Amino acid sequence: MLTLRGNGDYMKSKYNLIVLLVFLLAGFMIAVQFQSFQKPKERDTRDTWELRADIQKQQKTQQELYANIQQAEKIINQYQYDSITQTTKTLKNSVQQLKEEAGLTEKKGKGVVFKVEPLFQESMKDVDVQVYPVLTQELLSRLINELNKYGATDISIADERVISITPIRNVNGNIYVNNHPLPPLPFEIKVLAEDPKKLLSYVEYSSIRDYFAIENINLLGKAKDTIVLPKYDQDIHLESIHLLEAEDANGE
Amino acid sequence: MWLPFVFLLFGIVLGLLTDIRIPEEYTDYLSIAVLAAFDTLLGGIRAHLEGKFDDKVFISGFFFNVSLAAFLAFIGVQLGVDLYLAAVFAFGVRLFQNIALIRRYLIEKRYFMKKRKKTEEK
Repeated sequence: MLTLRGNGDYMKSKYNLIVLLVFLLAGFMIAVQFQSFQKPKERDTRDTWELRADIQKQQKTQQELYANIQQAEKIINQYQYDSITQTTKTLKNSVQQLKEEAGLTEKKGKGVVFKVEPLFQESMKDVDVQVYPVLTQELLSRLINELNKYGATDISIADERVISITPIRNVNGNIYVNNHPLPPLPFEIKVLAEDPKKLLSYVEYSSIRDYFAIENINLLGKAKDTIVLPKYDQDIHLESIHLLEAEDANGE
Repeated sequence: MWLPFVFLLFGIVLGLLTDIRIPEEYTDYLSIAVLAAFDTLLGGIRAHLEGKFDDKVFISGFFFNVSLAAFLAFIGVQLGVDLYLAAVFAFGVRLFQNIALIRRYLIEKRYFMKKRKKTEEK
């Protein structure tokens, strides 16, 4: 027992009880604190079906990676075993292919041409709005994201080819694509795609057209069999990418 | 001597069994309050070993320290200054001091008891 200095037995037992209750309270607090910090373990709640789907997804990735490896090995073989003239040819082919992928060449193919034009509604006449609709940079970025999502392979905006490092900026109220100002509406956005009709229907039913309509802009798409995209006409500056030494690349 | 620890254990068991969890935003306050409670408990034990235990000081100290620590944490959140660190520091230092003193007293006690036994045997 704790030695207590109460007046008489009654006081002694009373204070003693309070001291004990304080200990009880402290223990309770510690337990609550401990429990509050114990997070329930995350359980794997996927069922067989979801697991199977996940496995299939991973297998698909694996197959794609195998295909990529195979192609790369084929190119390596061509370099190693073919004669010099053929090696040069392979090299040129590779360069050409890379240029195409980077958007440094003109590209022909089937796709969709979107016409971006002002949307004049009947009701606008009464309100007498004199402001000519202006495209915003966020909207354009959003459109490009949506197009990429729906399977666009190459895009050009008003004859400016959009490549992976193309900047879309708002400079003093004008939109600059590839550091060139966009012309006022209307202009065309050309999009190459594997399946233009599908892309067109995706865009027709997505909410992106509503967002354009809010800005009084109409987005009209038309699927075409042959579209020519211009090439990216500036130099690509890659400041943070450096060439590896050949030995390092071979892993020797 | 052992009854307080029984009650402490009983409180812990009670807390674990009731399965009470406080919301995440209040865990800071409770943790600082728990630290203050620890400090007071150890202080009480030390005072008891020194023979200076006063239940009024103990009880008032417990509630006052706990509420002050929580209040300090609250003020710190309002002002954007981590004032609860002050409480953590103060209580942490005192915790170590108290534990050190308790250890010393226990060792001395045992030493004296052994000595007394030896003298009795002689």
